[in-house]
Amino acid sequence: MSQFIESFLQAMTAGLLIGAVYGLMCVGLGLIFGVMRVINFAHGDFMMLGMYAAFYLFTLAGVQSVFGNTVGPFVAILLAGPILAVFGYAIHALLISRVSGTKTASLEGEGHYAQLILTLGIALILQNGGLIVFGSVLASIRTPLSSSAWELGPFFDISIFVNRARGIDAIVSFATMILLTLLITRSRIGKSLRAAADNPTAATYMGIDVDRAHRTAFAIGTGVTAIAGGLLATNYPFHPFVGLDYVIVMYAGVVLGGMGSIIGAFWGGMTIGLVQQMSTIVLPTQLQNAAIFVVFLLIIFFRPQGFFGRMVERT
Amino acid sequence: MSLQRPIVAIAAFAVIYAAVSLSITNSYYQLIMTLVLVWAIFGLSWNLLSGYTGLISFGHAAFFGIGAYTTALGQIYFDLSPWLSIPIAAMLGGVAGLLVGFPTFRLQGHYFALAMLAYPLAILYVFEWLGFQEMTLPIKRDNPIAYMQFSDPRVYTLLALVMLIGTILLTRTVERSRFGMALLAIKQNQAAAEAAGINTLAWKLRAISLSGAIAGAIGAFYAVVLLVVTPQSVFGMLVSAQALTVAMFGGVGTVWGPVIGSVILIPLAEILNAEAGTRFPGIQGVIFGLAIISVILLAPEGLFWKVRDIWRRRQLSQLSSEPRDVPATATVTQLPVSVRRDRAATPEDVILEVRNLSRSFGGLKAVQNVSFKLHRNEILGIIGPNGAGKTTLFNLLNGFLRPDTGEVLLEGQDVFARKPHELCEAGVARTFQIMRPFQRMSISDNVVVGAYVRAKTDAKARELAADAISRVGLSSIADRIAGELSTKELRLMELARALAGQPKILLLDETLAGLGHDEADEVVTVIQRLARDNITIAIIEHTMQAMVRLVDNFLVLDHGAVLLEGKPETVTCDTRVIEAYLGKKWVAHAAH
Amino acid sequence: MLRIEGLSTGYSARPVLSGVSINVEAGQFVAIVGPNGAGKTTLFKTISGILKPSAGTITFEGHDLLSTPPSRRPHLGIAHVPEGRQVFPSLTVMENLEMGAVTEAGRRDWKNNIERIFEWLPVLAERRAQFAGTLSGGQQQMLAIGRGLASSPKLLMLDEPSMGLAPTTADLIFDRLIEIRKQTKLTILLVEQRVAEALESADHGYVLEAGRVALEGDKQTLRADDRVRRAYLGM
Repeated sequence: MSQFIESFLQAMTAGLLIGAVYGLMCVGLGLIFGVMRVINFAHGDFMMLGMYAAFYLFTLAGVQSVFGNTVGPFVAILLAGPILAVFGYAIHALLISRVSGTKTASLEGEGHYAQLILTLGIALILQNGGLIVFGSVLASIRTPLSSSAWELGPFFDISIFVNRARGIDAIVSFATMILLTLLITRSRIGKSLRAAADNPTAATYMGIDVDRAHRTAFAIGTGVTAIAGGLLATNYPFHPFVGLDYVIVMYAGVVLGGMGSIIGAFWGGMTIGLVQQMSTIVLPTQLQNAAIFVVFLLIIFFRPQGFFGRMVERT
Repeated sequence: MSLQRPIVAIAAFAVIYAAVSLSITNSYYQLIMTLVLVWAIFGLSWNLLSGYTGLISFGHAAFFGIGAYTTALGQIYFDLSPWLSIPIAAMLGGVAGLLVGFPTFRLQGHYFALAMLAYPLAILYVFEWLGFQEMTLPIKRDNPIAYMQFSDPRVYTLLALVMLIGTILLTRTVERSRFGMALLAIKQNQAAAEAAGINTLAWKLRAISLSGAIAGAIGAFYAVVLLVVTPQSVFGMLVSAQALTVAMFGGVGTVWGPVIGSVILIPLAEILNAEAGTRFPGIQGVIFGLAIISVILLAPEGLFWKVRDIWRRRQLSQLSSEPRDVPATATVTQLPVSVRRDRAATPEDVILEVRNLSRSFGGLKAVQNVSFKLHRNEILGIIGPNGAGKTTLFNLLNGFLRPDTGEVLLEGQDVFARKPHELCEAGVARTFQIMRPFQRMSISDNVVVGAYVRAKTDAKARELAADAISRVGLSSIADRIAGELSTKELRLMELARALAGQPKILLLDETLAGLGHDEADEVVTVIQRLARDNITIAIIEHTMQAMVRLVDNFLVLDHGAVLLEGKPETVTCDTRVIEAYLGKKWVAHAAH
Repeated sequence: MLRIEGLSTGYSARPVLSGVSINVEAGQFVAIVGPNGAGKTTLFKTISGILKPSAGTITFEGHDLLSTPPSRRPHLGIAHVPEGRQVFPSLTVMENLEMGAVTEAGRRDWKNNIERIFEWLPVLAERRAQFAGTLSGGQQQMLAIGRGLASSPKLLMLDEPSMGLAPTTADLIFDRLIEIRKQTKLTILLVEQRVAEALESADHGYVLEAGRVALEGDKQTLRADDRVRRAYLGM
């Protein structure tokens, strides 16, 4: 019995830890899809680029030699964020803006059709281009932290082990999340972003450059997800097609959390992480992802407005 | 439109392709020839659903993979010949289409695409877990032909060619029939299609079922050609993406699109893969990605349409010597301007009775206790200041909104809360403020969609459409393309589409919007004629000058409630109406 | 201050506005009335830059507005209170007002402005932390006006402020506007369907019909003219 409880608690802990990282990942998409209503099919692939950026910063660009193996990975990951943000800014300026924002605000469906197709094309190029540039060999960011753990307990013969690397990942996720929330809710840029997303016409009347606001949101969303990707990379090996594995997780989390809510996206991602880890109690490991798909389908069928976050009318 | 020209084109294509195939001896190039056809057929199946309806499917690999595994598992475990497993795969694909479509069609736009994405990926994980990693079809040395195993690879190309022709003919038949037209109407404007009597869910299910069947069949064939099936190669994202890309690149919503796309992209990708594949693995995907991006930015509907549009524009500019507007206006049959109708002849019997109709949105009472009677052959104008609830009332009458309370009796029958296409069948037709015609199709094709609700056969539908077109005076330009029409002609075409279903009641929503003074007069004349021809009309319009000459009676709404009902002379001088429009203090001041 | 000359706009060959000329002097309260479909909202959208005209000029204090991008126009001193309120629903009342003040003038005068806005429109002070999407129609209208004022404008443009509001609420809004005008001498351009209310406080009025200026004059002249009623009711 106590073994079952231990497995259960261990799975739940694992779920919370990875859920925190999924949450951050979903927040990035939440900014883009949930708030700006832009479909970005390539978001998982931006994350993949973030993983590789962190990897190369760590290994080739010398971060490892300067900061060592324990702190180094996290420095590289946090540096990868801004790099991918710039990349996202450029992609939006060159491509995405042609099928979103004020150009398509008046079309039926707000240009979603074109966004779907365009970002699918970008996804294909990033995945396959990544294969060409990075090769298919699995990469990962090694840190000795991933092979040691904190022990919580023992309480009544039950101990929970918290993997150090995953623990720090979760902490970094929460910290990034808190910073981002402060930025969005308190700063003038954040408020302008929210205003531009809420009602682009009115925002233009106020003198806010809506297209630039969208571009900034896109950049931030990309950067944030890239950081989440880097955090994942410390635990799981990755390859150029890894984005596909996560794109459904991301959309499931955002939809679950409720569109338009960034905090909701975080809790949505957290929930998905929990579902994934706890499903291993009853399902074989290989079906973890299938379980997520089923959850995703259930959500969009029965509760497309999500569970968390505010239900405020959009103009 | 006769079938001759396209059949000639199809035959010519087939002959040329077969000749090229027969002359190629290199087995790798022959394989490419076969694969081009396979992806063209897959693209056509995707097109059948997504190209015509506009519902983008990212998950056609689900049907394709089911088909492939039907062949593989069928042959390995049940010794089933592909000659049998291909038709079986078609059936399974069709059923899968229905199973997937039924729940998923309830989702809008991007949710639909995402859900469709999830299905094949989920199946992929399940198959990998089931251990179906790489399956190789066993070689049958003793009876190869019975198992579709030919030593000469050219046979596969020819088989594929036969399948392609079959698919093209099938798609073409669908395209020209009411099936295809209904799908296109759904793509243009689903709400308007429903209002025109089209049962959109039923048609979408038919489309996805047929699409799934074709995809399943070609997936089954694919397995035979390659002899190796892995979950990733038939359920993977690139598979769905390829179907989508060849169709979009070549041209959506047309038979030739996927063929063109496939003929251009597949050899390009395959050859690049062969040449540069070792140094640049994944070059295929990059090519497809670039193809998709360039298409959506430069020629969003595909190569076929872009080329055709450019060619048509060249043709037109060569004919630009004749002024186009003159013949158009001359053909709308002119009657003496705005003859007021003979009041005494208006019959008394009530065709539509509305009692205490109400509808609220949250706290806002959009329509409050509205009651009125529509008499046969009457023209009723529904007016009121902005926000009075006029359009909401129409939406209630034609089924777009469900009333909260009230009764609606059409010729005595209760039609409360019926769905739009049911109301259309019962005889309520509607036009819309914002028109969305099939830009590239003729007036006849645009109008015939409205006739399907009444005509059992396509021939009868064409008859009804022609009749409707003549009633609005557009017969002499019935073959002109909608994209070239003036606003007045477009409005008349809208009217014809609504008439084609032989309605009893016509709800006209701002039919005169965007028309100049003379044009409005012409349309008013047409509407008056219709009323004389035994149709009852309710019209919302802001151009009061035209309305006062057109209508028999006004129904004035203000803040969702009926303010007054009566003749134009009475209503326009009534204090309450003046107050509603101009403000309370107006009458007080004007009365000095 | 604002001079519009020969303005024509339209979506295709059918113009929505033809040759409209309107003049607003500094300190004036000008009302533009007309029935639905006359082109009032199109006029406003053209001034704000959402729509581009096919002919004509718009000058604001000597600046050629047509060559100024839409998001720059508020910075010149034009505040637009749009049709249907158009508040930012998921931002609070206070945040909505802050958004109004993104202009340089708005930021400079923020402290003063916010005090006076709360004075004139006390309901905004009471509900400053409430989400704008949960306000009633009348409260949203006041918020939209407050937001416009927060930009420290020279010209305040209001597009059909009474639309969708109950008559008593609309009256309240107009009263507030008159009060604000008395205290600030702000230049106001008002578009309204409800002619009587609009002309009540206006110095000068224009009647738009089918895209043209059918009548203009001060309120005495217009009130006595039956052509106004006919423009709305057809006969």
